[in-house]
Amino acid sequence: MSEETETIIKLENLTKRFGYGDAASYALKDFDLTVKRGEFIMIMGPSGCGKTTLLNLIGLLDSATSGVYRLNDEPVSRISARRQARLRAKKIGFIFQNFNLIPDLPIIENVALPLVYSGYHKTRRLIRASEILDRFNLKEKEYYFPSQLSGGQQQRAAIARAIVARPEIILADEPTGNLDSHSSALVMSELSRIHSEGNTIIMVTHNPSLTSYATRVIHMLDGSIDTDIKTVADSDLPVPVEKKNRRRPKNKKKSNRKKKTKK
Amino acid sequence: MALLLRTHYELARTSIKRNRGRSFLTCLGISIGVASIILILSLMGSISSLISSQVAQIGSDLVVVRPSTTKTAVSRVVDELTSSSMYLKSNLTLKDVATIEKLDNIASVAPLAVSVNSLSGDDDTFLPSVPVVGTNPDFIKIQNLTLKSGTFLKDDAPTATAVIGAKLANDLYGTGEPVGKTLTLLGERFIIVGVLTEVDDPINFNNLDLDSSLFVSASALNKIDNSLQIQQINIRTENTNDLEKTVKTIRETLIASKNGDTNFSVLSGDDITHPAGTLFSVISSILSVVAGISLIVGGIGIMNIMLVSVAERTHEIGIRKAVGASTGNIFLQFLFEALILSLSGGFLGLILGYGLAFLLCLITPFNPFVSWQILAITFSTALLTGLIFGLFPAIKAAKKNPIYSLKFWG
Repeated sequence: MSEETETIIKLENLTKRFGYGDAASYALKDFDLTVKRGEFIMIMGPSGCGKTTLLNLIGLLDSATSGVYRLNDEPVSRISARRQARLRAKKIGFIFQNFNLIPDLPIIENVALPLVYSGYHKTRRLIRASEILDRFNLKEKEYYFPSQLSGGQQQRAAIARAIVARPEIILADEPTGNLDSHSSALVMSELSRIHSEGNTIIMVTHNPSLTSYATRVIHMLDGSIDTDIKTVADSDLPVPVEKKNRRRPKNKKKSNRKKKTKK
Repeated sequence: MALLLRTHYELARTSIKRNRGRSFLTCLGISIGVASIILILSLMGSISSLISSQVAQIGSDLVVVRPSTTKTAVSRVVDELTSSSMYLKSNLTLKDVATIEKLDNIASVAPLAVSVNSLSGDDDTFLPSVPVVGTNPDFIKIQNLTLKSGTFLKDDAPTATAVIGAKLANDLYGTGEPVGKTLTLLGERFIIVGVLTEVDDPINFNNLDLDSSLFVSASALNKIDNSLQIQQINIRTENTNDLEKTVKTIRETLIASKNGDTNFSVLSGDDITHPAGTLFSVISSILSVVAGISLIVGGIGIMNIMLVSVAERTHEIGIRKAVGASTGNIFLQFLFEALILSLSGGFLGLILGYGLAFLLCLITPFNPFVSWQILAITFSTALLTGLIFGLFPAIKAAKKNPIYSLKFWG
């Protein structure tokens, strides 16, 4: 396997059950999924089919009832809670439908939040957060409070928070669910840009029009995969910027992305 | 680690700042408890050091004989607090004074027979309760007192004479120079022959405010007051090198002369202040317990506010966990908040307590007693309060499920 198509997440027979006995219900049942580095996966499906549960499991916020979840080839069941928290701070970025910004903190401190738990000194984390906010055209609003920003701006701030620690995986749970079409387009173009830099994105959405941004679309039904369509070949997935700079031959084209086709 | 602790401190400080009013009121609970402890310890320390310094001033050659019982120190203190039974139970007599005078290495001996009586002056001024001290001419030497005017008591005085304290002189006669005037005590007329210079130490090892007392000959007082008891015999020795031996001799001689009665103590050095010291330490312990209760109430206030804070910030906890906070991070953040609240309260209490102690010292003869022990007790108490009462809310916050917390909108 080439480094470009390295497996980052592997789920084998993953099951998540809520309740016991007669009251037991399965959010995920014998779920198998392999995610390559650089994929932009859209997960769709009706409410209650287990999309958010899947994101929570991948994001180490929840643990599976049975099955194996390998993150970078390491079974997460063997990772301590403390290290899982550290992985959440450094390797995983969350974007939520309702933004989930802390209302009492200014935007810059909200964005810097993952760096607090990554061991950054206050000055360094504020500088880094300010750089990211600049990229999202929110620099002049960095000392505003979330309530002083529009929904679109809040979501851009939330995306900035998700990528501030340069994570490998970004998990987005309906990030455009609370936004108008204009703000949705802005948010999606930001996510597309982040993806083009080689980040792996797994996004849950109900909006089929957004699938055009994805390299892979998964439809879920009753805790299992119904359809799984790859629109971009693994070999054409974007490579993280630092790796690309290190390995790309001088005459190689920057992007070799094919026209999207159903698998 | 240092960076992590600093970060937790910053986070805690930020969240305290967000609720300034509530945080201040929470601190106030701890402040009142700490201020009470500071006030009590400071005043008690002041009293103890006052008595110790008086004994040191009087000299190391002082020996005191006091009546005592076989009861424990605490029960004796309770007796002292609840009744004047100590006076009534005294087994010391004027005969004992004479016995001690005859011993070697004794420079002077003075009995202290205190009774509280009413007095009336020349112009029918009446004072209902004045400490009247029956003693002898040696008393002024032993106490290192000086006379403002006149002379002290003399053995060969032809008539009933009395020496008056400076404050009492003013109260009874309206003048500081009443020598030659008379007063009536228990139907007997006494002439004032001297006025003591004001000493202004109402708290001393004699348990007597010298400035407000009347001094008469013990034998004269004994004639008019049949129930008179000697509460203390003050002795000054000639040579301090043989003090221990002298104390032993006094004790053995008195036991022999009193037919084996051992219900008295012969004390020297720091032991002289011990009864007072024990009394004050028992009082201070009782008061400290009371102050400690207010500290516990303050601690419960902290716990209550922290629990409210945890409930209000459940969503925030979820967000923090989602972006990488571990259980330990959340635990420390909330524990630091409780500690900052209690330590700020402790600091505020320190200022408040000493402020009150200084104010109190303006109207009392004490000086506020400042020592590193009191400061250490204050801060460790505040720290411990924050730790104990902050623990439960911190654990509760740390154990919050991130998924549930993210769905929770307080």
